[in-house]
Amino acid sequence: MFSKPLHFALLLAGLIVVAGCEKSPPPNFRFNSVEWLKQERLHLSGDDKFDEGYKQEIGSILTTLFGTPDEPKFPYLLGEDDPAHDVIGLDNLKLAAGAVKSGIEGEHQGLYREHCAHCHGVTGDGAGPTAEVLNPYPRDFRLSKYKFKSTPLRQPPTDHDLMTILENGIPGTAMPSFRTLPKEELQALVEYVKYLTIRGQYERYLISEIANLDGGSIIDLSLKSETKDGEKPSDDDVEEFEDQMYTFIGEGLQEGIIPRWLKPDRKVSKVPPAPEMFDLAHASHEDFVLQGRELFFSKGNCMQCHGQTGAGDGQLGNFDDWTNDWIKTANVDPFDPETYADFIAVGALPPRPIMPRNLHLPVYRGGDHPDDIYLRVANGIEGTPMPASSALTSDEIWKIVAYVKSLPFENLSDRVELPVNDEAISNR
Amino acid sequence: MKRITLGTFIFGIAIAFMASTNDSTAFAQDEGAWGHLTGQIVISGDAPKNAPENLEGAAEKDRAACLVDGKIPLDDGIVVNDKKQLRDVYVIMYEGRGAEVPEKFHPSYDEKKKVKLTLDNVNCRFVPKAVFVRAGQTMILKNSDNVGHNCHITTFKQEHNPNIPPNKEVELQVDDASDKVPGEVRCDIHKWMDSLILIRDNPYVAISDETGAFRIENIPAGTWQFHFWHKKAGYLDTLEIEGYEPEGRKAVIEVKIENGKTLDLGTLTLPAAAFED
Repeated sequence: MFSKPLHFALLLAGLIVVAGCEKSPPPNFRFNSVEWLKQERLHLSGDDKFDEGYKQEIGSILTTLFGTPDEPKFPYLLGEDDPAHDVIGLDNLKLAAGAVKSGIEGEHQGLYREHCAHCHGVTGDGAGPTAEVLNPYPRDFRLSKYKFKSTPLRQPPTDHDLMTILENGIPGTAMPSFRTLPKEELQALVEYVKYLTIRGQYERYLISEIANLDGGSIIDLSLKSETKDGEKPSDDDVEEFEDQMYTFIGEGLQEGIIPRWLKPDRKVSKVPPAPEMFDLAHASHEDFVLQGRELFFSKGNCMQCHGQTGAGDGQLGNFDDWTNDWIKTANVDPFDPETYADFIAVGALPPRPIMPRNLHLPVYRGGDHPDDIYLRVANGIEGTPMPASSALTSDEIWKIVAYVKSLPFENLSDRVELPVNDEAISNR
Repeated sequence: MKRITLGTFIFGIAIAFMASTNDSTAFAQDEGAWGHLTGQIVISGDAPKNAPENLEGAAEKDRAACLVDGKIPLDDGIVVNDKKQLRDVYVIMYEGRGAEVPEKFHPSYDEKKKVKLTLDNVNCRFVPKAVFVRAGQTMILKNSDNVGHNCHITTFKQEHNPNIPPNKEVELQVDDASDKVPGEVRCDIHKWMDSLILIRDNPYVAISDETGAFRIENIPAGTWQFHFWHKKAGYLDTLEIEGYEPEGRKAVIEVKIENGKTLDLGTLTLPAAAFED
């Protein structure tokens, strides 16, 4: 429940329609039509559709709270004291947003559109002009899921995690390194990515609520205004209006989405130091690796997806969460394009199964430092079937990391098969 | 109804949400007075038929472990018995804006929260199908099968995905965040496996059993709001309850709990049409 009053003064906003410009119109955020279609399929029967008016209403609410790609805003609902200032600074948003501008010494703006938008899209929907030809697809930020981070599932990444990805890129994908940019510009991009994430997640939330509205407005301003004859709104109407504000802005955004990003609410996983035997030069290193190999086939259950040889050929036919999000809609079969043609028509990218990593290739998307691999095993990977190894001790995780690090050097033609999930090794 | 229209419309709203929702004088909770709520949910009309689970994609070895008496089990999304009594309906104390919620929970719930709640995997099925977990409570995620599972919990506010080796169990303390509606539990290795989970601090929640019956104990005496939710039908706004009418988009009813008494809502009837798309 609320304990602090929320000031909605910032909702004083004008939506200006620019008409008759000579330049091409400024880009707009693209509406999440995939989520819209999914919710229609979930809640309506047959060919019924949601009222198109909701698109406008959602657009207006989002523009009021988050501005436009050229003029970003952020809903600091608690005013100056809002802790969200620590998550996103308006100055940084302005540096990253807008059209690419430079020329004046020290002034460089439009960073996101310069470096990111062609793959991730102006909206951060992972559907920029190049998206379809890339494998894997660029990340759609709107699900608020991140794979490579130091926090457990559903905990947002730290700024450091996002910065690391910008600096190093993601090996094995089209994501390049932006190490040559000044640190301040990278920080502005980190905050802009968080902004697009929060905006996109809130948009999804609003769309998901349409079915509950029975045709009524999301936020019905007429409840609050005087009638034409100057009559004051009734108490019931004011209460209903406040109820709407509470539900859709208070509960949905202020209590629901933003607090996750605040530092005090976030857990960061610690990586314990690797045991001495992890060192390649240690006399018992080889034994340490072999123990890791046994764990890989037993308690770790790694072979279930990564396969008998670790070549990533075990469990196939899974999809990641960005794809699962819409292909789990009734009557969609991800292996039959005819069943999802309408989703493709509104902007979904063709579903591709997620491949368990081929561990014989020494390419590690989340980083090749042993600490990185430790975190992937310990926490699992958000948005994918990769689970957290809750049943393993930290020592056991280090053994698996040692085995994984050794796999690119394993001679595949000369290996001894291990029994899978054998009771004897399960109970070691 | 007027929509916010795009255009020249400038809207100004300066609202301060009243902090009075937490004001202790807003309502009186009768100290030390507790009552109970019960009822039984049945469906009217034809119960939907359940199709066999789709075991496609399961490894050969896993397939054997996933059959029940050598057969592919039926999907358990909607479970009714021969008396049309409906299992797995969540009865939830409503916590939205304007709803009064108890300041204090009955002390027995402190003890119950210390008990570790078990969610098992048997023949590639989650047992039980639906669970209620207090925010911050510890769960035991068990695997009675001789194949590995993972236990991928996804709710509005929380996500966990521990791996559970064959014939082992792991402990999971869920976060201190409360959800309003149940989320789901899945195994990514065996894609047909699913279960429901509601994680919330407020303990006044029940799940209807095999006979459709539910019971919530030791609710503070007073007037509270409840609503009913089923995975395949959402909030049960067509539920027929004698003397009550589910209201609004969250299908809420208001009940009066009296000290030492059990309020029996009797037979609650859900038309089977609620399960149609």
